[in-house]
Amino acid sequence: MEERLVMSDITMGAMAGHAVPHARAVVYNDNVIRKFTIATMFWAAVAMLVGVVLALQLCWPAFNLGFSFTNFGRLRPVHTSGAIFAFGGSALFATSFYIVQRTCRARLWGGEALHNFIFWGYQTFIVMAALSYVMGYSRGQEYSEPEWHLTIFLVIIWVAYAIVFIGTVLMREEPHIYVSNWFFMAFILTVAVLVLGNNAAVPLSMYSAKGYTAYSGVTNALIQWWYGHNAVGFFLTAAFLGMMYYFIPKQAGRPVYSYRLSVVHFWSLVFMYIWAGPHHLHYTALPDWTQTLGMVFSIMLWMPSWGGMINGLMTLSGAWDKLRTDPGLRFSVTAVGFYGMSTFEGPVMSIRSVNALAHYTDWVVGHVHSGALGWVAFITFGAMYYLVPVLWNRKGMYSHKLMAWHYWIATLGIVLYITALWVAGIMQGLMWRAYDQFGFLQYSFSESVNAVHPYYVIRMVGGLCFLTGTLIMIYNLIMTVHSSTTERQPAVAGE
Amino acid sequence: MFIRQETVEKNAILMVVLTLIAISVGGIIEIIPNFTIETTIEKVKGVRPYSPLELAGRDIYVREGCYVCHSQQIRALKDEVERYGHYSLAAESMYDHPFQWGSKRIGPDLARVGGKYSNDWHYGHLDHPQALVPESLMPRYAFLAETPLDTTMIGRKLRVSRVVGVPYTDEQIADAKKDLLTQADAAADNEALLKRYPKAVQASGKAGEPTEMDALVAYLQVLGTMADFGSVEPAKIRR
Amino acid sequence: MEEVSEIVVGLLVLVLGLTGLVMASGALDNGIYIFGLTLAGFAVVFEIGLIKAHYDRKERIARGGAAGHV
Repeated sequence: MEERLVMSDITMGAMAGHAVPHARAVVYNDNVIRKFTIATMFWAAVAMLVGVVLALQLCWPAFNLGFSFTNFGRLRPVHTSGAIFAFGGSALFATSFYIVQRTCRARLWGGEALHNFIFWGYQTFIVMAALSYVMGYSRGQEYSEPEWHLTIFLVIIWVAYAIVFIGTVLMREEPHIYVSNWFFMAFILTVAVLVLGNNAAVPLSMYSAKGYTAYSGVTNALIQWWYGHNAVGFFLTAAFLGMMYYFIPKQAGRPVYSYRLSVVHFWSLVFMYIWAGPHHLHYTALPDWTQTLGMVFSIMLWMPSWGGMINGLMTLSGAWDKLRTDPGLRFSVTAVGFYGMSTFEGPVMSIRSVNALAHYTDWVVGHVHSGALGWVAFITFGAMYYLVPVLWNRKGMYSHKLMAWHYWIATLGIVLYITALWVAGIMQGLMWRAYDQFGFLQYSFSESVNAVHPYYVIRMVGGLCFLTGTLIMIYNLIMTVHSSTTERQPAVAGE
Repeated sequence: MFIRQETVEKNAILMVVLTLIAISVGGIIEIIPNFTIETTIEKVKGVRPYSPLELAGRDIYVREGCYVCHSQQIRALKDEVERYGHYSLAAESMYDHPFQWGSKRIGPDLARVGGKYSNDWHYGHLDHPQALVPESLMPRYAFLAETPLDTTMIGRKLRVSRVVGVPYTDEQIADAKKDLLTQADAAADNEALLKRYPKAVQASGKAGEPTEMDALVAYLQVLGTMADFGSVEPAKIRR
Repeated sequence: MEEVSEIVVGLLVLVLGLTGLVMASGALDNGIYIFGLTLAGFAVVFEIGLIKAHYDRKERIARGGAAGHV
C-alpha cells in the first residue's frame, strides 16, 4: 500500500510536468524532441510506402521493374529498417527525451551540440543504410543489414544517446526513477549489447564495404536470433512500454494501476526475453536443448507481457469515458490491446508443433505486423497526437474528426492485413505438408504460391489503408502546427 | 542478495548494472555452449570451403537479399525431407559467413537445389523466372548476366574468410583468381580445380569474361551437394 | 555545459569527417566511397551549424536572454 502511494506520487509529479511549482523552473530542451517528432512522421510515411510497394511486388512481380535497385530483395531491408529503426527509432528518441526530462525534472544532459549530433547523426545513418541496401551492400542477416562501417557509425551515435539519457537520469531532482525510464534504460543498454554481439565481422579491408561475419552457420544463426528476437523484445517492446507508462497515465489523468505489477513485470520481462531467440530455429540443425529452452522461455514470457498489458489497461479504470472524447487515447488503448494479442500469439507460435506449421509461412509476417502496426505504430500515434500540440504550444489537435478517420481506417487496415495473412499462412503450412491418397505430397510449391495470391492482394489493400491513415495524420499534425484555429489564447497560456 | 526495488530505483548505476546482469544470463547459457563445435556440428565427410567462383556467387546471393524469400534450412519434418531432400546438417553451413538459413519461404527452400536443374535452366530462370515457372513471384535478374564479375577482391575474400575460420590453404588463396576463371569458363580444363574443390560445377560462361550470373549459378549448383551422407552413420547424427 | 559540449562534439565530428575523407580517398568500392564522402559532408555541415549555434547563443546572452534557452 505504501509503495502504491509512492508510485502515485511520482506519477502525479510526472503528470504535473513542467507546471511543477516548487524549486527552480527547469528549462527543458524540446528542440531535439521536435526534430525527432518530425522525423518520426516522415519515416512513418516512407517506411509504410515502401511496405505497400513490396506488397504490390508480391501480388504482381512486374512491379519489381527489373532494375537491381528496385527488386524485392534489396527493398525489403529498406522497409524493415525504415519501420523499426527510422520510424520506431525516431519515435523512441523523441518520446524518451521528452519523458526523461519531465519525470526527472531535469534538463536533458549533455548540451545541445550533443543532442543535435544524435539527431543529425542518426538521420544520416538511416539515409546511408537505406542507400547502401539498394546499392547492394548487406550483411545478409535480417534487421541487421548495415555493413560494418555503418554499424560503427551507429554505435558511436548510440553511445552518445546512452550518455545523454543516463546522464539526465543521474541529474534528476526526483528521488525515484520513474518506471518509463527503467524500460528506456534497459532498451538502450540491451540494444547496444545486441548490436555489438551480432554484428561482429571482419571487413575485407578498411576501404571495402564488404565484410564476413565472425560467426558461421549454426552459431551465426543462434546469435542472429538472439539479436533478432531481442530487437523485438527491447526495441519494439520494452522501449514502447516506456512510452505507454508515461502517455497512458497522462492521457487518462490517472496514476499507473499497480506499482508492484510494474516492478515484477519489468524484471521478469528483461530477464526472460533474452532466452526466447531459439524459437526461430525449431527443427533446424540447432541443438535440441537450445530449441527447447527457447520455447519454454517464450511461453513463460506470456505472463510478463500480459503484466504490462494489464497495467496499461487498468490504468484507465475510472476513466474509460475519456475514450469517447479523446481519439488519441483510443490509439494508445487499442495499441495495448494489440500488444496483448500479439504477445499471446507469439508464445503459441513458439510451441514446436505449432511452429512446424507456422514457420516459413506468412503467418509469421502477419504476427509481426499485428505487433508492428497494432502495437508499435498505434502507441506512437497516440503519443504523437498528445505531443505535437504540447511541443508546438497549441490548444489541441486541428481536427478530431480526422483523428477518428485515421483511427478507423488504420484499424481496418490492420484487420485486413492480419486476417489475410492468417489465412494465407495457415494455408501454405497445410498445403506444404498435405499428402494425397497414394502417400505423395499433394501440392507443388508453385501451387501454394498461386493459392495465396488473393490474400496477398487483400494484404496490400490493408497496408494501403494503414498508409492512408498515416497520411491523414501527417496532414492533421501539420495543420495543428500551422492553423490559426489551434492557437492558444494568451489568457489560457498557463494551462 | 535480495535488493529492495526502492533502493534500485533511487540509484541509476545500480539499476544499469542489475539490468545488464539480467540480460546476460540467458545469452550466456544459450550461446556459449554452442561454440563447443564438437557437439554442435557433427562430422560429415565432403563439406569443403566454397570455391572462389562459388564464394563470389554467394556474395551476390547475399547482396541481392535472396535470403528474404528463400530458406536454406530443411527442417527434420517428413514433408520437408520428401520435398527438398535430407534435412540440413549443422556441418553443411559451417563455412557460411553469414549463414543464410532464412526465415520465410516466398519461394522454395534452396538448401539442396544444387544439381536439381541444369545450368541452362538456371540461366534462363534467373533471366526471366515467369518464362519457366508462370506462378513465380521472383523478380528478374537479367542484369546479372550483363554485369561483369569483379574479380579483383577474390584473393582477399579467401584470405579474410580464413581469418574468420574457413580453412583455405595457401595454395587455394594463391590460385583463387585462376580457379575462378577456370570454373566460370564452360570450356576450360577443370582437373586442377576439381582436385582442390571436389564437386565444383562448371558455369556456362565465356573464357576470361565471367559474369555475376556465372558466379551465382556456380553457387546454386553446389548447394547441398557437398555432404557425403554415406559417410555418416545415422546414430552419429544428432537425431 | 553548452561550451564543453560544443568542443567535445566538434572534435568528435572533426575526427569522423577526416576518417570519412581518408576512407573515400582509398575506397575500393562505391559503398565506402559514398559513405566516406557523406561522412565528410556531414562533418562540414555540422561544424558550420555548431559555429552558428555558438554565436547565436552569444548574441542572445548579450541581448540579455538566458543561456541555453531557445
